[in-house]
Amino acid sequence: MAKIDLSNISHSYNPNDPNPVYALNPFSMTWENGNRYAILGPSGCGKTTMLNIVSGLVRPSAGRILFDDKDVTDLKTEDRNIAQVFQFPVIYNTMTVYENLAFPLKCRDFSKSKTDERVNSVAETLNLKSFLNSPARKLTADQKQLISLGRGLVREDVAAVLMDEPLTVIDPDLKFRLRRNLKEINEQYKTTLVYVTHDQNEAMTFADNIIVMSEGEVVQTGSPKELFERPNTTFVGYFIGSPAMNLFESEASSENSVKINNTLIKTHTNLSNLKTKNIKLGIRSEFIKIAQNQNENLVDVNVEKVEDLGNYKLITAKMGDFIIKSKVNRETEIPSQNVKLHIPAEKCCVYEDNKLI
Amino acid sequence: MNKLYIFLKYFFIVVWTVFVVAPFLWALTTSFKDFQSVNGGVTYIPWVDFEPNLEGWKVLIKSPAKGGVDIIEPYFNSLFVTCTASLISIILGTLSAYALSRYTFKAGFVKNNDITFFFISQRIMPPIVLSIPFFLFLSSINLLDSLTGLIVVYIVLLMPIAVWIMVDFFNKVPREIDETALIDGCNPYQAFLKVVLPNSIPGLIVAGMFCIIFGWIDFFFAFILTFTEVQLLPVKIVALNSSVTPWWSLSASALVSVAPLIIVAFIVERYLSKGNLSGAIK
Repeated sequence: MAKIDLSNISHSYNPNDPNPVYALNPFSMTWENGNRYAILGPSGCGKTTMLNIVSGLVRPSAGRILFDDKDVTDLKTEDRNIAQVFQFPVIYNTMTVYENLAFPLKCRDFSKSKTDERVNSVAETLNLKSFLNSPARKLTADQKQLISLGRGLVREDVAAVLMDEPLTVIDPDLKFRLRRNLKEINEQYKTTLVYVTHDQNEAMTFADNIIVMSEGEVVQTGSPKELFERPNTTFVGYFIGSPAMNLFESEASSENSVKINNTLIKTHTNLSNLKTKNIKLGIRSEFIKIAQNQNENLVDVNVEKVEDLGNYKLITAKMGDFIIKSKVNRETEIPSQNVKLHIPAEKCCVYEDNKLI
Repeated sequence: MNKLYIFLKYFFIVVWTVFVVAPFLWALTTSFKDFQSVNGGVTYIPWVDFEPNLEGWKVLIKSPAKGGVDIIEPYFNSLFVTCTASLISIILGTLSAYALSRYTFKAGFVKNNDITFFFISQRIMPPIVLSIPFFLFLSSINLLDSLTGLIVVYIVLLMPIAVWIMVDFFNKVPREIDETALIDGCNPYQAFLKVVLPNSIPGLIVAGMFCIIFGWIDFFFAFILTFTEVQLLPVKIVALNSSVTPWWSLSASALVSVAPLIIVAFIVERYLSKGNLSGAIK
């Protein structure tokens, strides 16, 4: 277990090229000991590169990596005491399940009794106890992934367990249970867990801290609540949440109001120092409700579609040229005409050049 | 339709079996015949069509002084040269193949694929092109007409086969296996020996089988690079021939020479049927 500092890290796979393409643009970050982190972003955004840099499989083009303030940038993978679980099951085909789980301990000369204890404990957690003596290659794909996960968790003293979309091949039921198990393991042993995913629900339910990435850039780091309520960029607003954040091209009208289709919307943002005219108003569909007694921040809309999604209704409406989405309670009556929606000022986010003001 | 399919399937299996087995049966019966039985018309069944005798087989172990050819020494020479050269080729070939599969080499315009092709190109050349260079090379280091010289030449010939098969095999073993082993605490050598190599046993067996077959059946270089001191089996068998072709002893020697390959084929087949080679064949 260790505090991990990534200091000014950047990486290019063609650093000697006159115009190198950066898989990771420079960033700094600290992963505190014992926390759960999720790295979230679309495919190809640099998530796996970041993990491989931490585990030592890739040496960063620039920057330093520190484990508990000790520089490990040039330390080999095998000396870093990191566990990493890949997206698809990686098992040692010629070994039994027990030998697979015991392998990281054997490589580090753990005693037989300690190895037995750890392997049995992890096998118990992952429901692998009855397979311990079976050849690993004969197991199903999700059981094989459990072995990979088990090899990651079998050492108690690892600096961090890095997981690269580890539950992709696992069926949804087991996925839910495993995520809970991982949280329990984190709480019990205070192991730092880093979980790479492109599934926001997985990230939100698993991590205390989410690192959102886009095109090699760390765009925002924060708790699930922060990312949901105050996305730093329009990308985060769009990427996090289902449906994505409502974003409207708008123009500043006064110190804290914007105009959309000639409708004035008050916000709690100071708009007196704007430098450009590229202004967008962002509001989550969860915060937009059918107007009751409010007398400001109201927009007239034409309801286009109402979808009943079980525990809520999703209204898709047209406000001039804009599409607006609102999530309302299932019981809410939705009039067919003259619908007014209320946009709460305190939940509005204003973006200048796609960055939160 | 289904019945027709089954009929055709078994029909072709029977035809193919006859095609494969018939030459062996012919050689087996012929090896127990004498001059009279071979040249006196077509005969098939021992004790009915002809009286079997062991003359054809005895010639193989009799010393030349007694009119035999004594293939025992050449036989063990062939076994020794083939096994040693195959083993060294597999070891060197596997190491080279692993490096070519996992690391990037670049020297000017020469890259990994070019190096792999260089190895394979050794087998594309007609053997005759290599005969003079090999002869001069072995002559310059005083290894003509010696087992060591033959082993050196066979390594050159067999290693490309090992590299070719193993590069392809290692390319199919996911890199994550090596990376996981490193993360689990192995150094790169341990990762190769403890994890990658055991996972590659099917490939090693296929490569080993090809090396043994190609080493064992070589006549050309054994003929050119040896004279009197050392002889390998294929050369000795050819030496059996004379103005009157001794079909009986030629058949016996053919059976004896093919025996090790049949044993290898049976072992590999048993391994195959257990599913252990599925990865290599896929």
